[in-house]
Amino acid sequence: MGSPAELTPDNQKRLMALMTRHQRQIFAYIYTLVPRRHDAEDLLQETSLVICEKFSEFAPGTDFVAWACQIAYWRIRYSRQKFARSKVVFDQTVLDAVAQTAGTMMTELDERHEALGHCLQKLPGRDRELVLTRYEPGCGVEEAARRSGRSLDAAYKALMRIRKLLFDCVSHQLAPGGSA
Amino acid sequence: MNLTDREILELNELCNAVVDETLTDAQRARLTTWLAASEPARQYYVRALGQSASLHSYASEMHAEAPHGVPASRRRLPAAVIWFGGSLAAAAGLTIVFWFATRTSGPEPATARPAAFVARLSAAKGTKWADPAPLRPGDLLRKGQHLDLATGYAEITFDSGARVVLEGPSSLVINSAWDSTLRHGTLKASVPPQAVGFRVANPSVEVTDLGTEFTMIADASGATEVLVLKGEVEAAPRSPADSETILLRENESRRFGATGVSDVPDSAVKFAQFTQPLALDRFSPGINCVHWSFDEIKGNEVPASADSTTRDRAGAALKIGNADEPAAMRTPSPHGEALRFDGRIQASARVPGISGSSPRTIAFWVKVPEGAVTDAWMVSWGTGLKKLNSRPVQISWNRRPGEGSFGALRTDFGGGYAIGANDLRDGRWHHIVVFFAPGDTPDTPVQVKQYIDGRLESSRITLTPGTPRPASSSTVAPPASDMVWLGCRLTGKQPERFRGEIDELFIADRGLEPLEIVSLMNDNRLPVAGLAVATLPPAPAGR
Repeated sequence: MGSPAELTPDNQKRLMALMTRHQRQIFAYIYTLVPRRHDAEDLLQETSLVICEKFSEFAPGTDFVAWACQIAYWRIRYSRQKFARSKVVFDQTVLDAVAQTAGTMMTELDERHEALGHCLQKLPGRDRELVLTRYEPGCGVEEAARRSGRSLDAAYKALMRIRKLLFDCVSHQLAPGGSA
Repeated sequence: MNLTDREILELNELCNAVVDETLTDAQRARLTTWLAASEPARQYYVRALGQSASLHSYASEMHAEAPHGVPASRRRLPAAVIWFGGSLAAAAGLTIVFWFATRTSGPEPATARPAAFVARLSAAKGTKWADPAPLRPGDLLRKGQHLDLATGYAEITFDSGARVVLEGPSSLVINSAWDSTLRHGTLKASVPPQAVGFRVANPSVEVTDLGTEFTMIADASGATEVLVLKGEVEAAPRSPADSETILLRENESRRFGATGVSDVPDSAVKFAQFTQPLALDRFSPGINCVHWSFDEIKGNEVPASADSTTRDRAGAALKIGNADEPAAMRTPSPHGEALRFDGRIQASARVPGISGSSPRTIAFWVKVPEGAVTDAWMVSWGTGLKKLNSRPVQISWNRRPGEGSFGALRTDFGGGYAIGANDLRDGRWHHIVVFFAPGDTPDTPVQVKQYIDGRLESSRITLTPGTPRPASSSTVAPPASDMVWLGCRLTGKQPERFRGEIDELFIADRGLEPLEIVSLMNDNRLPVAGLAVATLPPAPAGR
């Protein structure tokens, strides 16, 4: 196993380019299995370090995202103890099933991400502000509710409505003949 | 087997509960059973959770106008790669910044930091500031800056194009180019179409402008009056007694207090007051601007016209290269003739001083073919600045989806890049304005602002600090030669070009005000300075 410092300059450049391009996809994969932002970010960082250590084993021309997600999967398994208290962690069987499904959908998720950008633009300004505040670093539903002048309950309902709108908009855009 | 509508609704609710961490034990059991047994359910779940991951990313981009710099303590680590997680990753849109530590000795290059200037004090009259360091017209205003005006009037022009005239005594906080907080006092906001969505809030009410003029008066009791002079606004009360959002139209007004929403006393008198004109002392800096319209061509040269308010200076002709018949590369456009780039031709002109540290604004019309996948490089120029690692500044559309929206306006500079949100590749004409200010000193933050069709884009600025790299052997010109290049990349081993059309290129030697940008877009010229007149009631005697 090569240490980061042992990477050749060319490999450093390749790794930098690959991670810069694909880190969001790797984060999305982790987040589907560990759907808490801070936990997912921690795992992304741990995964990144392993990727760096093992990068000399990566075969150029093969699927970097699939390779990186495999590393992420094992980091998640390794870290399961850490997330055992979380209510949203599934048992190993379900985790494996979801991981397998997610692994086959990375290209689709990337397309959905791009389409989501267009759909966000189409949202009414007040809805867009609410949903982006909800996901803003350091914010949550409570802060989004406070800033938008909604009750907490109303904010949860509005977010559920907006997420469904976005989901349907993205699906429509990606459907054959959609407006993507 | 596909999911039924009822199943989709239930799954959607469960996925929302997962994301918002409100999942009950019963819901968890239901979801676990479902995900274990059904592939369509798993696919729906992955799409829904993937959407939330994307929303985290987009939200971070929207709010990452000023990412932090590299922690000094980490710069000394021997490891070749450092990932930034936690709060920095969050602030920078989950960007993981790789920094390959140099193994060579010598001082590290200065890291270019993006600035958080989001507004400017554009006009004033009889101002006295509570702060001991008074502001002057023309001063840039930072994100988070508090403005405490004791007396007089001060006009703030936000980068979004919204203008707010404060009447002293007042206190305003600049939150962003799109957002401010009126702590107390009186303001009048004028919001042009490109700044729709501009917001002013305080503990009583949050007003979102839908393209209008409105006045807010926040009094000592904590209540706030909102009067709509033109257009309409959305007013969201923050009182527990009355939280329903109200749409206020022209000549309508409301008072928002702790006990709820009520009518504004003497509203007719106040409307009359706030529609009175008020002349302010406007800050009108001089400007030197060179303009290539592409309407004429002589051989392989496109002549320039110079537009200067400070001194007369002839613009250099733009020379077209790699074209067998340069005249044939022109094509009709809404403004006459444009230059068509076929992935082979390039053009260049000398613009004195552009390689230095002075701010510049580049404005042009561009048409990028629908679905373009290569040849993204529109305008570039070299710099010799150490803080930019002697790297060029290059305006393109983004070809790296991992770094931001594919096809969005992108400005690269030594030490980072800014990426907008909207895909330019739609086969239509778009007006592009990029303001770039490298800063005079190593500590002065780099500023990049990108406007598309007159509207400020929520540009994500990502830092990529690294070691200075020489320009590549394929570089078409020495990096710092005061040359502006159209249609080619100045970095990289392979020459890359541009496919599309460019028209009405302006290069100005300072930042343009939002009004000037709109004027360039609409009228193809800069406005005559000093025409705009703000309106606020004259201060009552004795104030």
